[in-house]
Amino acid sequence: MRLSTNLLRKFADIKVDDNKIVQLIQEHIGEVDYSHDLREDYRDIVIAEIVEKQDHPDADKLGVYKIVYGEKEPIQVVAGDKNLKVGDKVAYLKIGSVVPYSILTEEEPFVIKKINLRGVASNGMMGSARELNLGNNHARVMVLPKDAPVGQPFAEYYDLNDTIIEIENKALTNRGDLFGILGISRELTAILGHKFVSPDWYLNYDKYLKPEDTCLKLRVVNDAEAICPRYTALALDNVHVEESPIWLKSTLIKCGIKPVNNIVDITNYISVLIGQPLHAFDYDKLIKTDPNAKDTANIIVRMAQPEETILGLDDKLYALDEETMVIADSTHPIAIAGVIGGKETEVDKNTKRIILESANFNKTSIRKTSMRLGIFTEAATRFMRNLDPKQCLPGLLKAVEIFKDENWATIASEIIDIYHEEKDEVTITIFPEKVNTILGTELTINEISTILENLEYSVEIRNKKKETWIQATAPSWRKDIEIAEDIYEDIGRIFGFNNIPIKLPEKEIKPPHKNSIVEIKKSIREVLSNSGANESVNYSFVGIDSFKNCNLDNNLAYKIQNPLSPELSLMRTTLLQSLFQKGKENLERGEEAFVLYEMNISHLNNYVEENKLPTENWYLSSLIVNSVVDTNASPYFVAKRYLEKVFRSLGVENIQYDLISESEELDLPPYIKNILNIFEPNRASIVSIKGVKLGIVGEIKTFVKDSNKLPEYSGAFEINIEDLVKIKPSNKKYRDMPIYPTFTKDLCFEMPIETKQKSLEDEITQTLEKENLWYKVECLDIYSDEKLKERKRITYRVTASDFNKTLNDSEIKTLTSRISKKIEKDYESVILI
Amino acid sequence: MEYTHKNLIHIKTSFTKDLEKLGYKELKEKYLGKKGLVTEALKEITSIPSKEKPIYGKEVNTLKTFVEDNISEKIQENREYASKPKIDPTAPFDINEDSQIYSEMLSLEGSKHALTKEAERLLSIFSSMGFDILESRQIDDDYNMFQSLNFPKGHPARDMYDTFRTEDGLVLPAHTSTMQNRALKKFGPPPIAVVLPGRCFRNEATDAGHEHTFHQIEGVYVDKNVSLSNMIATIKTYLERYLETNLKVKIQPAYFPFTEPDCEFVIGCPFCNMSGCSTCGHSGWIEIMGCGMIHPNVLKEADIDPELYSGFAWGFGVDRLAMIKLGIDDIRYLRESNLNFLRQF
Repeated sequence: MRLSTNLLRKFADIKVDDNKIVQLIQEHIGEVDYSHDLREDYRDIVIAEIVEKQDHPDADKLGVYKIVYGEKEPIQVVAGDKNLKVGDKVAYLKIGSVVPYSILTEEEPFVIKKINLRGVASNGMMGSARELNLGNNHARVMVLPKDAPVGQPFAEYYDLNDTIIEIENKALTNRGDLFGILGISRELTAILGHKFVSPDWYLNYDKYLKPEDTCLKLRVVNDAEAICPRYTALALDNVHVEESPIWLKSTLIKCGIKPVNNIVDITNYISVLIGQPLHAFDYDKLIKTDPNAKDTANIIVRMAQPEETILGLDDKLYALDEETMVIADSTHPIAIAGVIGGKETEVDKNTKRIILESANFNKTSIRKTSMRLGIFTEAATRFMRNLDPKQCLPGLLKAVEIFKDENWATIASEIIDIYHEEKDEVTITIFPEKVNTILGTELTINEISTILENLEYSVEIRNKKKETWIQATAPSWRKDIEIAEDIYEDIGRIFGFNNIPIKLPEKEIKPPHKNSIVEIKKSIREVLSNSGANESVNYSFVGIDSFKNCNLDNNLAYKIQNPLSPELSLMRTTLLQSLFQKGKENLERGEEAFVLYEMNISHLNNYVEENKLPTENWYLSSLIVNSVVDTNASPYFVAKRYLEKVFRSLGVENIQYDLISESEELDLPPYIKNILNIFEPNRASIVSIKGVKLGIVGEIKTFVKDSNKLPEYSGAFEINIEDLVKIKPSNKKYRDMPIYPTFTKDLCFEMPIETKQKSLEDEITQTLEKENLWYKVECLDIYSDEKLKERKRITYRVTASDFNKTLNDSEIKTLTSRISKKIEKDYESVILI
Repeated sequence: MEYTHKNLIHIKTSFTKDLEKLGYKELKEKYLGKKGLVTEALKEITSIPSKEKPIYGKEVNTLKTFVEDNISEKIQENREYASKPKIDPTAPFDINEDSQIYSEMLSLEGSKHALTKEAERLLSIFSSMGFDILESRQIDDDYNMFQSLNFPKGHPARDMYDTFRTEDGLVLPAHTSTMQNRALKKFGPPPIAVVLPGRCFRNEATDAGHEHTFHQIEGVYVDKNVSLSNMIATIKTYLERYLETNLKVKIQPAYFPFTEPDCEFVIGCPFCNMSGCSTCGHSGWIEIMGCGMIHPNVLKEADIDPELYSGFAWGFGVDRLAMIKLGIDDIRYLRESNLNFLRQF
């Protein structure tokens, strides 16, 4: 919504400067996108007259002119326009003035200097419409009307000593009444503490209804009552289509609307004033194209029929459907109601008679049509915001009044008014105590009622016993007022939100509930980031290639109906997809070894809750890569080490690792099943704790590594944090510390290569546990070579101490042999030390 | 010509045999490598009489395509990746492994992400003020995203939120308000004080200042006699705590269907003392979030009596706040996972 302060001042006596107006709008009405004071832009531009014209001796396309604007000597100006004549009035930009167009478009505004154009001196410039910021034409110098007074500052002549304000439409979504100058003037007046009174022609239009000659026949039928509450129209004769006068052009330009001709411009002017869009149809064209017209112009408001089309004023052909409301003659659409007029009945310079329409259309219908057809005209923008049907007639009559005053047309028909009036006036009870509770103010009942009256509410103060309250009825144009809270907002806004004294709420002292997921994520973040891992945050969107590269089923992904691009068209089913992609990008940037992790939600469309929404689990995923390490070892072990760091920090114990190749796939949860094929089945395991399967850790499949350009040494894990939270950390209790010196003994066993280290270690600890000792068992080394064939050697270091005495050699020997014997028996093992 | 033609047939036969036996790397090497059979056959063209060149060229190219297609199909089918020998998943390291690499990896320069770090700080401030935390969903339905928030179907304000939808008709939340109804029900009856952090999505083109994915923290406070004055004070208080400075604040009217009155919260730029800098766009003020008194319809929808209770809500972008605080000038860095960026925080 664009407006100018000069226009505002026409409606209201606003005794503050333009800067203050901008501030007041911003703080009391809505976001100001931008404001611009034009005064400086047109400094040193004056109206001049051409007194002499010559050809340029050395350039075909340049003309050499002499102009005067009050100086004694004519001034020579060279222009790229040879069509100017002696006697033409132009806007002359003096040396030192700035080209207005450049102020908003260039970083450094263009300052006019004295120059030489192919050997001829040029002292200043004659502005084109574009250069003067008044239109698009930049090929021709803008010629002013004959009566433009020579020597007058251009800004004064063109009413440019003004400030433009653009209010964000979004802020006015529910305020159709603020799409006209009248509405903004009303608000400003109330904000400044005065009572606003809408002009007589707006409120009491009835007395302006004076039909004259009724020679033209007009028939209107409303077949879309439900979404066209009101349709008013009349015919005008003796129409003179011409260029609009300066005041009108200037007004429209400042409001961001392109002037067309006086007829169209007045319809737009009414829209600027009160937000009521009008439309003018060429009466004769309408009669001509309607085979059933005879001498009566038919206007029918109806829904379009399938396959109907219309050529819009924008020269585009639109296909219509049954949900599009149109204005039609007896056979076919001539306008899309409230959105855009039709080319067929366009007013042009030969138009002699017109039909002027001022109607009210349903906001939802207009919005749908506008969105579907992609047409966002000033009219549609306004209708979408719910306009008051009551302003159809004042809008129509104000336009007619101007036509008559300017001698541009005469009334030639009855005023047609089809109005299905719905009583939607609501009277709302306002208790001052409630207003003050909600706003935190201390307003009196009189202060409240004054604010409302200033906005033209009708207000009644009532009381019963000790209670007083206000019965407030919003003016008809306030379609947004439905409940008391809407009125509290008006009171708060007009009083000034920033005048409210601020105070923290009074609250019981009570700690918030525990959010385990948030807490556990915090702990995980702490431990991983302190262990060389970098937390990353990645998009939820991926492309189809990511599924191929990661060996994933893209049919399990949610597909975006309206993606930004194919690369962002699917929701990732595992965080690993992002980590692999980001891993690759970092490797390409020259990184060699890193650990990336992310905690986030991913989605599977086969894993949903009862209400059809996807189950949303938090996952912890990590990618560990090293492209420089020289090893044959599986990266499984480094990935596992990171995972164990997390488990240890959370106090989670008894973790079980089962190779994918040795696990049953059937009983896996869907999010684990989904990522199985990312991992090498012999080198990755399902991680579980007390039977709960948390996720997978391991080496990435060669195919997946290759497709994602990850190095040989690449490991990863992904676990479900939700399940991790459910596992109670082991209840740590204090354990006695050793009192007597500890002994250390290394034990080496040889056994079949497939024997699990963990079971061996458990065996050792169990034996030690029975002895009532303080002890520690550490796996030092695992060895195998060709000579050992399918066997391996594991070395453990046992450290222990008795709580009652220092153990002697023979006691130690007894102890170790007890361990060894058990192991030899159970594990086809040979003890080596 | 006869010889060379036969040679091509020979290459094809041998390739077909090798296809079953060799891995894709060996196949590539043997046939398409620098001295590969197909490569050599291609070079052969120079020695072919010029009138036979077109025929030979065609044949050799057909062969090349055949070999390439088969190799890439082999890669596709994943046939070439023979499974690797088993490891002992319970062991602390691999057989014969030198565990030096672990200490190398663990001593890398780790980091928390700028966004989560700032969000953590904010959440701990909210916790200290007694706010519960409920994290937001990332795929939701129309009811929670719009209807429960007083946006009936066809409401024009829906256009303000450029929402992504899934093909199944679900919605990617464009604001954390998508959790308001759930939060009011979960933590009700009042008093309710809860913050709702989470990932949001908007269907808009990205540039230095705009992202289709961002992080918001919504706040909801409902009790008896809660006022707009309380809202301004609450927001001002936590922002001052977070930015560690006293702030000048003002609120401007705005429009959201789920609040009434609706406001935009604006702070005096703390970086230039309101004298104008790049952070505040040289205006001295920064619009930091939308907020307002919760619309009675929203309370009713969550079975809270608006006659008895009132409340306020806000929603701000953590991205923006983190960027302001850390001086990050391009929002896209936040989700790029560039280690040079990550390691800075």
